[in-house]
Amino acid sequence: MKLLTHNMLTSKCIRGVNVGYPLVINIIRNMKLFTHNMLTTKCKKGVLVGYPLNIKASDIRISSVDFNPDFISKIIPKIDWPVLYSAAESIGHSENLPKEAPPEDYETNEDFLKIAHKALLEVEVVHGELVCPESGRKFPINNGIPNMLLNEDEI
Amino acid sequence: MSSNEKLSIGQKKKLDRKLAKLQHVLKKESGATSSPNPTKNLAICNAGLVSGLTEEIIYEHFSQLGNLTDITLLPGKSCSFLSYDSLESSIKAYETFNGKLNIAQDNKAIYLLYVDQIPYLNDQRIWGELPPGLILLEDFISIEEENMLLNLCSFDAQPMKHRLVKHFGYEFRYDINNVDKDKPMSETLPVETNFLWSKLQQKFKPDQLTINHYTPGQGIPHHIDTHSAFEDPIICLSLSSPIIMEFKNNDKHLCFLLPQRSLLIMSEESRYDWTHGIVPRKFDIIPNNSGQGFTCLKRGTRVSFTFRKVLQGSCQCNYKSKCDSYNDIEDNVALELEAMHVHKVYNNIADHFSDTRHKPWPNVLEFVQSFAYGDILIDVGCGNGKYLGINQKIFTIGCDRSMGLIDICRQRQYEGFIGDCLSVPLKNSSADGAISIAVIHHLATEQRRLKALREMVRVLKPGGRALVYVWAHNQINNEKKSSYIMQDRKNRKVTQMDKLVTGQVDVPLQNGNVTLPVHNNRSNFQAKDVLVPWKLKDKNETTFLRFYHVFEENELEQMCQKIDNIQILKSYYDQGNWCVIFGKI
Repeated sequence: MKLLTHNMLTSKCIRGVNVGYPLVINIIRNMKLFTHNMLTTKCKKGVLVGYPLNIKASDIRISSVDFNPDFISKIIPKIDWPVLYSAAESIGHSENLPKEAPPEDYETNEDFLKIAHKALLEVEVVHGELVCPESGRKFPINNGIPNMLLNEDEI
Repeated sequence: MSSNEKLSIGQKKKLDRKLAKLQHVLKKESGATSSPNPTKNLAICNAGLVSGLTEEIIYEHFSQLGNLTDITLLPGKSCSFLSYDSLESSIKAYETFNGKLNIAQDNKAIYLLYVDQIPYLNDQRIWGELPPGLILLEDFISIEEENMLLNLCSFDAQPMKHRLVKHFGYEFRYDINNVDKDKPMSETLPVETNFLWSKLQQKFKPDQLTINHYTPGQGIPHHIDTHSAFEDPIICLSLSSPIIMEFKNNDKHLCFLLPQRSLLIMSEESRYDWTHGIVPRKFDIIPNNSGQGFTCLKRGTRVSFTFRKVLQGSCQCNYKSKCDSYNDIEDNVALELEAMHVHKVYNNIADHFSDTRHKPWPNVLEFVQSFAYGDILIDVGCGNGKYLGINQKIFTIGCDRSMGLIDICRQRQYEGFIGDCLSVPLKNSSADGAISIAVIHHLATEQRRLKALREMVRVLKPGGRALVYVWAHNQINNEKKSSYIMQDRKNRKVTQMDKLVTGQVDVPLQNGNVTLPVHNNRSNFQAKDVLVPWKLKDKNETTFLRFYHVFEENELEQMCQKIDNIQILKSYYDQGNWCVIFGKI
């Protein structure tokens, strides 16, 4: 849907609705790379580390999230950076992202913070799989939701 | 045909033919051999327990003709036996009743044969022996005191199926076999009964009294007073008429006389492990002290005063197999129970559940808002994401087993994944905060509940904090009712389903069944492990049962104390929940 279309849409035909315009665009959340940065399969029987999970994405979306430099700069030290980089790269969104580590001046480097913001919060996986690096067990991502449940015999 | 008429020759022939045939039937049915010559023993060939014959009926008729020394009714048989102390009485009975006494099925006549020997019946009943823990005090009160107490019960009693009853202090509800502990009656125990306790010289202060009024022919089915309902002991005063009371435990079956004006104290094993009951009869046939012959005790109207003290909290007895407070749920059963009565239910009720969960609880809100810029908070068991979006400064991730609920979170633009609180798919030490609101009470064993706590601790960073809420067994704290109980809608309709799901429910599972009580919504909990109904607002008012383990005071704290690397920062009661905030060291 293009925004030109949105500019014309209304729900005024619903009984009781007077204007029904403009419609609120409800962007549905999908799995962010921030979340991926924390996920492991270590609870699975026989798996020691289970990290990082490989991403096989069939549907990726870039959503728009308000940029908050304070928030991002606080988040950066909590990120496993190489894991973020390889995850972004594996789904083709590693643009300008440093490979090894964030720059030393990351707290004040707004250009970098914007790049990190995009990789962490705006690149989303809608459909795909997360794959355990040790056991090869696949966890489906459907409609943006990773299903991390294990079967009883896997625990 | 009256029994003193002489038989015509034709009738005599017919009777002889019938008896000849019945000899074989009797032999086959009981193994007893009929005797051609009169003996003291008679067999009733065509009536017995199966056809509804009782000791009482046999005694009523046959004792008119002599002294009976034995009555034997064989379980599952349609023949029965009796013996007289003299041959003369036996012959008299044979001639008087044979083919004439209409006490067989459908009021047909009975047929009698002499037998050499009465088959041996392994009668399990032991007369006069009391079960362990039971005390019987005879002549506990005087005749004057008895009259005074009997005058107290000129009341408008409720007619029960088997007797009249009246309650004081708390109403005993026969539908749940318990009292509503948070609904005491305005009518407390009559002060006229107080003298009993000074007389007993024991510290016993009952707060519940049930008066039962039994007319001859009425009784009470075998039962154990619900463990979680009353303390030990249970005290019963018998007035107006004696009666035979029975106690059973496994294959032990004790019968003894409760004399008029006696006090029965049921304590320990007799209170917790043995059932007791009164057989509905008009006569009690008791063997004589000598062991020879019977005495028939004609029942009169009996009034009993049963005094009990309502138990606050759950039962702590050692008779676990009979205890409703104790449920030995095993691990493999727990899995199935949770799958069927937690996971499946939440997927089915996700939308309706979500519609009823809007307002964040203030204390949880405060905890979530206490986190600073850039902190990471995990909500384990996030439900519809009520706490996910309330602090914009932090990154919150929801985790829930229910796909339906996580999907609702996603539509509300919250980040989340489907995961289990027993195996949270997150790195060690990755979160600054964790919350688990109304989650771990859905786990069926303590081991599993503890594991869920350990998982939260694992994903927390050292210095990270977690908040846990669980449902409290006690929904009334400091005499203040929780909002859960307050919400009881006055005009709530009692539907067919409500009736259907009260009481105990057998949960059939592959690894063995579990019996759980169904909780009466908006009331105090009667047991620790319960099924709580969730009713959908659909046309059929489909009801689902969710498993809950409700927590005792300090239970959550004690669990936390088993985990080494945490420190309890705060422990409190909030609207029917026990809550703990702990920090990871």
